[in-house]
Amino acid sequence: MTAPNDPGSASACPGPTLAVDPLTVEVIRRRLVSISDQVDLNITRTAYSPLVYEYKDYAVGVVDAQGRLLSQCTSGMPLFVADVLGAAVRDGLEIYGRDGLHEGDIVITNHGGTIGQHLNNVVMYTPVFDPQTRELAAFFLVTLHWLDVGGRVVGSLSKYATDIFQEGIQFHTVKLRSRGEPVAEIYRMIRANTRFPEEVMGDIDAQIGGCLMGRDRLAELIGRYGLATFRASISCIWDQSEAVARAAIAAIPDGTYDASAFLDNDGLNAGERIPLSVKVIISGDSMTFDLSALPLERASTMNAGRSGGGQSVARLAFRYLLIPFEDANEGSYRPLDLVLPEGTVMSAGPNAAKGHYNLALPTLIDLVIRALGTAVPDKAAAGHYATFSTIRFVGKQPGSGALFQCSDSGFGGWGALCDADGPGPFRTMCHGDTRSIPIEVQEASYPIEIDSYAIRTDSGGAGQFRGGPGLSKSYRVQVPCMLFSTFDRTECPPWGLNYGLEALPGAVTIQGPDGKISSALKENVQLAAGTRVVVETGGGGGFGDPRLRDPQRIEADVRLGYISRESAEQVYGLRLDEKP
Amino acid sequence: MPYIVAVDIGGTFTDLAACDLETGQLRLAKCPTTYGDFGKGIFECFAKADIAPRDTELVKHGTTLVINALLQRSGARTALLTTRGFRDVLEIGRGNRTQPFDLRFRRDPPLIARDLRLELDERIGPDGQVRKPLDDGELDAVADRLKAAGIEALAISFINAYANPAHEQRTAKRLAELLPGVYISTASELSREWFEFERTATVAANAFVGPQTSSYVRKFEGDLRSGGFEGSLLLMGSHGGVMAASRAEHEPIALVESGPVGGSIGAAAYAQPLGFANLIAFDMGGTTAKCALIENGQYAVESTYYVGGFLRGFPIRGNVIDIVEVGAGGGSIAAVDSQRRMNVGPRSAGSTPGPVCYGKGGVEPTVTDANLVLGRLNAEQFLGGEMRLDEAGARRAIADRLAVPLGLSGSDSETRAAQGVVTIANLTMTEAIKQISIARGLDPRDFALFCYGGGGPLHAAELARELSIPHVVVPPEPGNFSALGMLLANARLDTVRTLLADLDTGSLASLSTMFAEVERTSRDALLHEFGIGAVGFERRVEMRYKGQKHSLRIALPEALEPLVLRAQFDTAYQHRYGHSRPGAAVEIVGVLSTASLDIRRPKLSDLAIARGKSGKSGPAGTRQVYFLETGGYLETAIHVRAHLPVGFSSHGPAVIEEYGSTTLVGPRDTFSIGSLGEIHIDCSK
Repeated sequence: MTAPNDPGSASACPGPTLAVDPLTVEVIRRRLVSISDQVDLNITRTAYSPLVYEYKDYAVGVVDAQGRLLSQCTSGMPLFVADVLGAAVRDGLEIYGRDGLHEGDIVITNHGGTIGQHLNNVVMYTPVFDPQTRELAAFFLVTLHWLDVGGRVVGSLSKYATDIFQEGIQFHTVKLRSRGEPVAEIYRMIRANTRFPEEVMGDIDAQIGGCLMGRDRLAELIGRYGLATFRASISCIWDQSEAVARAAIAAIPDGTYDASAFLDNDGLNAGERIPLSVKVIISGDSMTFDLSALPLERASTMNAGRSGGGQSVARLAFRYLLIPFEDANEGSYRPLDLVLPEGTVMSAGPNAAKGHYNLALPTLIDLVIRALGTAVPDKAAAGHYATFSTIRFVGKQPGSGALFQCSDSGFGGWGALCDADGPGPFRTMCHGDTRSIPIEVQEASYPIEIDSYAIRTDSGGAGQFRGGPGLSKSYRVQVPCMLFSTFDRTECPPWGLNYGLEALPGAVTIQGPDGKISSALKENVQLAAGTRVVVETGGGGGFGDPRLRDPQRIEADVRLGYISRESAEQVYGLRLDEKP
Repeated sequence: MPYIVAVDIGGTFTDLAACDLETGQLRLAKCPTTYGDFGKGIFECFAKADIAPRDTELVKHGTTLVINALLQRSGARTALLTTRGFRDVLEIGRGNRTQPFDLRFRRDPPLIARDLRLELDERIGPDGQVRKPLDDGELDAVADRLKAAGIEALAISFINAYANPAHEQRTAKRLAELLPGVYISTASELSREWFEFERTATVAANAFVGPQTSSYVRKFEGDLRSGGFEGSLLLMGSHGGVMAASRAEHEPIALVESGPVGGSIGAAAYAQPLGFANLIAFDMGGTTAKCALIENGQYAVESTYYVGGFLRGFPIRGNVIDIVEVGAGGGSIAAVDSQRRMNVGPRSAGSTPGPVCYGKGGVEPTVTDANLVLGRLNAEQFLGGEMRLDEAGARRAIADRLAVPLGLSGSDSETRAAQGVVTIANLTMTEAIKQISIARGLDPRDFALFCYGGGGPLHAAELARELSIPHVVVPPEPGNFSALGMLLANARLDTVRTLLADLDTGSLASLSTMFAEVERTSRDALLHEFGIGAVGFERRVEMRYKGQKHSLRIALPEALEPLVLRAQFDTAYQHRYGHSRPGAAVEIVGVLSTASLDIRRPKLSDLAIARGKSGKSGPAGTRQVYFLETGGYLETAIHVRAHLPVGFSSHGPAVIEEYGSTTLVGPRDTFSIGSLGEIHIDCSK
């Protein structure tokens, strides 16, 4: 690879801007993705918290000098693919101005009014300058979930918070490093406001390491091709992505599509269902998401801001349905419009509590897919289990008395497709390359025994194509500890499509040492030593009438134990031979 | 006579390299791989090289048998036995989706279906203590069920067996008595590391390929013996050492990357004699390009490998040479999408139909077609002239399928499209080299690029310039280098153990005890398998900052002082990630012990093919070759490698042709022939 070619006869994107050779554009496009992916890898390897290195609750990205998305890592948290990175940078530009940001500055923000997610999600970024002209060219960002940022409970995610001030400390766009020098005051504030200072400081180092590595490689890339060619290439990449997105939308028949579902409750007020509905308008090659029917923000923790909430829903659903294999950038999202008035649960104000901002997100994404399912059945899937199903045990280690926090989360079934059984168990549509934590690691690290970890029979919705199964996991705590659980969608289970049936929802069952049994879907409860907790996750919905299912597949499902004999006979209508 | 022979069964060809231990003479042979009976192709190679098994002292054998059986799911009918409550661990895996937005994403199904996964009452705690004892009566009942299921192989994996394998061992022993003829394998004998899914997947794979591999090894050894062979048959392990046939029968999963490691071993063997401490070994074949690092004369070994790739495959625990592989090879297909974006690979035309220019029905342009159109390959001299390439066909495919959709016009449009194909393929390959160097905290400029494989020498000088690597080395016989490398392999046994402890004097004492124990076992095993010899050991320790998950491997210093080890860890961490945490607590996670035993190997000087002594060492001719660097065609000297004597030197632009490979020297480069017959290209100016 040589210096950029003579533009010659073929420019990838003719126009008033500098014409760039299509092959140079391709080289820059690939380099951008590869830089983010390599930083991603190093963060996994240097992080301290399992939320980062296994759960992958972070993302890596690049935006231009105005906060427009250039590229993101392939496997980070899809939830951050939203406008969160751009929102953070635009806020920083407004506060500092271009001239107030210098080489070596590292800025952080978790401000509820900017990011719109729980305060643990801290966006960190550093400016990237063109090595030749010293002009501000881009920002390199790493967003990462900090283990604890203060607030009412360990981990900062209290069920009872009613405003954001109970959920921890906010850093509203402050410099962690200024011209390369650590700002000691901010470090002291961070250290004093977290219950896990060692882990959080370790993760911050990993986050900074990622920002700096990304910055250096990006500056090298810009320096090599020159800022003008770099910018012209980016503009071309956006145009290409926009064209792909528009072509995908244009293939859907014009019309207004809608779908509704509901959550069990907002986390605080049991019995009060939360209705959710989405409307999608397809007109030619553009797509409007109308979320104006969403309920108003609640005095509970399920609120999300516009950028971290409504915008995320629109962008994620769009990618799942129409452009699953395209790289994400600003251009992909140009054909999207969002109609969302201020003050709903997905466009909540800066002070609304946001600890469980993700409560409604998987369901909302799934609703968009459900709405368009009739129009593009070959691209759609039945509903997935759609709830974070998180479970945390917090207590003291028997020997040292040190505080421990065992965070676990349910992997559940995904919806069946028009020609295949549903996959899974996986994490929700908000997650990406998230890994479960090995049982052997949990048992060696926490005073908890795990008695079983198994596929849950009959949990996938029946259909010509069956929904993916959920799981069942049984824990026994050896010491007294607190249990925090967040399960939803038990009253409105994952739906089927095209006459496919719904799936079994999730459940959390507590069996005390005295034999007393209770349920704990969204609870903060004290457990006695010896208590058993059985967590069952929901399956995915079925696709097509179960009576159309291939009898050989039903027999295989029974033999393998994915479905019971009863359900084969009663739901699928198959008469099985009497042999066991 | 006598000979050391290395045979490498690849997807298309079976390669043989042999060295006469008395005269040092090297012999090479290549025959089509004979599916169904791999031995046939091997013996054809013996015949072609004119070597009789009875004259052979050692046979070193690399094979893709294991990886193919796993990828094609053609192993034995296998059952899995687990702790009660955990038979689904193999199917659930880690629950991650590597393609985040794909509603259809699913992993390859588990090797063992649910109805052949049985459970047993027993439980070991994380501390190794028995929580629930094993019941012999239940074992008898399980044996009856397994017998009824008609299985050929059985994998046994219990929770926390890494901390105490006693239950697995007792179960295996009892079931071996009850189920004669069934291949039985336990997870803890393959891996003593935690992570139940990875260990279970490893033993499932081992049992799945066990019966097939052991019967193949036995039959092949039998055939060798009946040909009068009285020496030892050794199998090429994924860790870069050879192992006794008996061990390979027992741990076939250790052969999973048995083929590709040959090149890395060869590169490591050349490093020191050529005076390079650090090399990047780079291998470009028909479908993929692979690279590995040689640091201080040694290649790195990783403990997790994905069968079927990271995207959808499953992991195995074992020791596999750290190789980064990307989908860019001579057969990689170039295509243009609706947005005029050109992509090259990972789709490959393979060897059938192959590139358009092979004239075997390929219609999509490939990297080889682009190289031909640019004058970098010789249509008349491909594979020593055995195959004539269709240049017009390649040109037409590049015009119709690339230049037109890209919107290129003018008389040079085909050239520009072809140049784009090479540029993008080179880009993919430089990313692989960056991944194995920069992403690991190393600067590629501190390395020389050592390249082989059919396409490696053709692209090497450009890759080196792109990465500012000053020096390229092309060894003798680059097209046969994998088999050649195997000739140079030593016997090796790696053992990994989990040992979780804070770094202090006490834990260092346990560390020493563990190493001593592991080394005793390894020494006994190697001496048992290889007879006599001096066994050498290397000690590495896995460490991390307390709270992290990923660890770094550090060579254990002579002085076992917590502070010394600590300082080395901080330095290594700083080197790798650009920051370190000298104030933070450090813990030990595990140990890696490498035992090796010297076996007879040829001298490198013997591998330099005897050169023609005609004295005719000037260029054989010239032709027009396109260079990316200058953006145009240049009148280029064409050399025949076999005619170039040691000490010869000249300057680019030049092309050096030989059977199975072509070396391209850029217009600003100079090159020379070294004392071991290797080509040196200087790209520093």
